[in-house]
This record gives sequence, structure tokens and C-alpha cells, in this order.
Amino acid sequence: MSADSRKPSPPERWQLSVDGWAVTIALLLALLVRLGLIHRVPW
Amino acid sequence: MAEGSIALPQVQTFRPGPKFVQLIPGVLLLAAIGYLGKFVEQSVAVYAKAHHLHLPNIEYVLWAIVFGMVVSNTIGVPRVFLPGVLTYEFWLKAGIVLLGARFLLGDVVKLGGISLALVVLELAVAFTFMTMLGRWFGLKPKLTSLLAVGSAVCGVSAIIATKGAIDADDEDSSYAIAAILALGAIALFTFPLIGHWLHLGDRAYGLWAGLAVDNTAEATAAGALYSDAAGKIAVLAKTTRNAMIGFVVLGYALYWARKGQAQQVEGKAAFLWQKFPKFVLGFLLISLLATAGVFSKPQIGSLANLSRWAFLLTFAGVGLRTNLKELKLQGLRPFAVGAIGEAVIAVLTLGMVLVAAKLFHL
Repeated sequence: MSADSRKPSPPERWQLSVDGWAVTIALLLALLVRLGLIHRVPW
Repeated sequence: MAEGSIALPQVQTFRPGPKFVQLIPGVLLLAAIGYLGKFVEQSVAVYAKAHHLHLPNIEYVLWAIVFGMVVSNTIGVPRVFLPGVLTYEFWLKAGIVLLGARFLLGDVVKLGGISLALVVLELAVAFTFMTMLGRWFGLKPKLTSLLAVGSAVCGVSAIIATKGAIDADDEDSSYAIAAILALGAIALFTFPLIGHWLHLGDRAYGLWAGLAVDNTAEATAAGALYSDAAGKIAVLAKTTRNAMIGFVVLGYALYWARKGQAQQVEGKAAFLWQKFPKFVLGFLLISLLATAGVFSKPQIGSLANLSRWAFLLTFAGVGLRTNLKELKLQGLRPFAVGAIGEAVIAVLTLGMVLVAAKLFHL
């Protein structure tokens, strides 16, 4: 059975992929910047 | 492979939670190598200025990759660091989403539209040529499919997605991944040199790197090595290419299913959604918010800098996972097919980009 046709078990269904984590964390950081909780990020 | 050294990347699912602590050493290693690269770039610049020397400005990107490669190919990456080092893909995607703040949606639509037209042309050229080349070299048909997908769309992720969809062998996907990674490493160093030699503008070069360099991390690095602006455009072009992954994998899945050598695809829309890279949506959302004026100018600057820090970790990871010994062991024929194919695709995409640059004043 290929990996794609396998149905995830309930706990797996709610686990985020790398993409999911990346988007979630990036949006969270954007929110913190917008709210002023992250004030200035130097480079 | 030496005990404890880094292996070629396979499917990795980054799952924080109880294993979060295991990620810390590797992430700290990525940060240390990346920061060392930034420190060396700044130190060289300060030294050159103080001594009135005209030294070439070698970007932190190159230093971070080279330092990572030195570690990976000499002492190897100890096992304790591996889980954290493999998060480089997470940092890459988070960095791309945050980079969306630097694009107004109008630019995304304009440049993305041009990229999309070029991507469609590039896909047609890449599939046709790689398939012919695979036949000439007598490669197994599924290995040829994997190499074609890897060079046409987006490297390792596309190969992994296609492998599952067409029931390809592990061995074939390892060959294809090794070939694509080796070629990505070569492109990383050759593309900026060719770009400078041809005096390409930032936009034209960025488009070319995004269209022709296979893996997203290498395409991002190849763009950033040229200039900050070129890096931005390379990410946009590569993201457009990544967005096509679902259609390409679906096409191959249907092709091999019709031949009776892969499972039938049920629910094409769900299949497309499953394969669609979700970070593209995050990138578009941040760009939309920036365009709508949700962020002030200093806040956009902060988001751009967060994106740079994320890329810093990514570039260190690119170096750490490039193991030259591993790549040498992977056989010559798949590499030769990939190399010839990549060279032809690079030349053809360069031609397309030069025409587009003239037509659209890039």
C-alpha cells in the first residue's frame, strides 16, 4: 500500500506537517510583530 | 556510511511535542554555523575597510554553506545533532512565509504571472527532455519519471511525493534524490558566477535561479548569493514552481495507474490539495496582509529580518546535509542523465528569462 493511500489514524490526522508548522509559527511571529510584542528584529 | 554521519535526506516529518528537546542541539548547531557565516562576512568587510583593501564581498550565505560542508565532510554530524539539523526545511518554509511581507500582492501577481508562464514552458521542456534522456541512457522508466519530476518541479519534495504516488522503488528515489542534490550543490556555486559573467540584472537572475535550480533551499541560496533582491525574486519564482507539484504528481500517478503499475487515484481534488505545498498559501496571506497595510514599515522590516534569520539556519543546514562521499556512491548514470538534463534546462530557461526580461522590462 502506498503512503498516499494510507488513511491516517485519528492522532496522526491532527499532527502538523513541516509546512503546517512553518505556516503556523510564521503567522504567530507576524502576529507578535503586529501587536508590538516583538518590537524590533535586528539583522 | 560512518556511524553518526548525516544521511541523504529522506521523508522527514518534523513533530515537536515530547521530542522537542531532541531538536535543540541541532538547531543550536545550525544557528552557530549560520551566525559564524554572518560574523565572517562582517569581519572581512570591516578588515577590508580598515586596511583599504578591495576584497570581494562573500555573502554569509556562502560562508554558512561552506562551514556546514566542512563539518559534514570531515568530522560528520554526530547523531545528537541530527534531529535538529533536519529542521532546516522548517526554517526554509517559515522564512519563505515571512518573506511574503516584502512583496506587495501586485508584484506577486505580476512577477508570479510571468513566473507561471515560464514555469509552464520549463515543465514542458524538462519533462520531454528528461524522458528522452532517460530512454537514451537505458534508465528504468520510474527512475526517469522521478528524475524528470525532480528537475522540472522542486527537487527532493517532488521526488518524495511522486515516489509514493507511482509506487517507485526506494532505490530509485534514493538515486534521483542524490542526483538532484548533487546537481543543486553544483548549481549553487555556478549560477552566481554565470549570472555575473552575463551581467544579469537582479530580477532576471532571480527568475532564472528560481526556474532552473531544483531544490527550494538551493534555489533560495543561489538567489541570495547574487543579491538580496535576486534572492527575493528567486523565492517567488521557485514558490510558483512548487505550486505546480500537485498537478505534476497527479499526472504521473494517472499515467502509471493506467499502465497498471501504480494504484488508481481516487478523488483528484483531494489528491491535489494533499500534495499542494501549504506554505505557498502562508506566503500569499502575509503578502496580502502587507499589501492591505496591516503592518507598518518598521514591522515589515522586522518580518523581513526574521525571514533572514530563518534562512540563515536553512543555509547552514544545506551545507551540513551535503555529504560528498555519499553523493559519490550513488552511481554515474542517473547523475549523468540529471547533469545533462539540468545543463540543457538551465540554458533554455536562461533564454526564456532573457526574452521575458526584454518583453516585460525586468
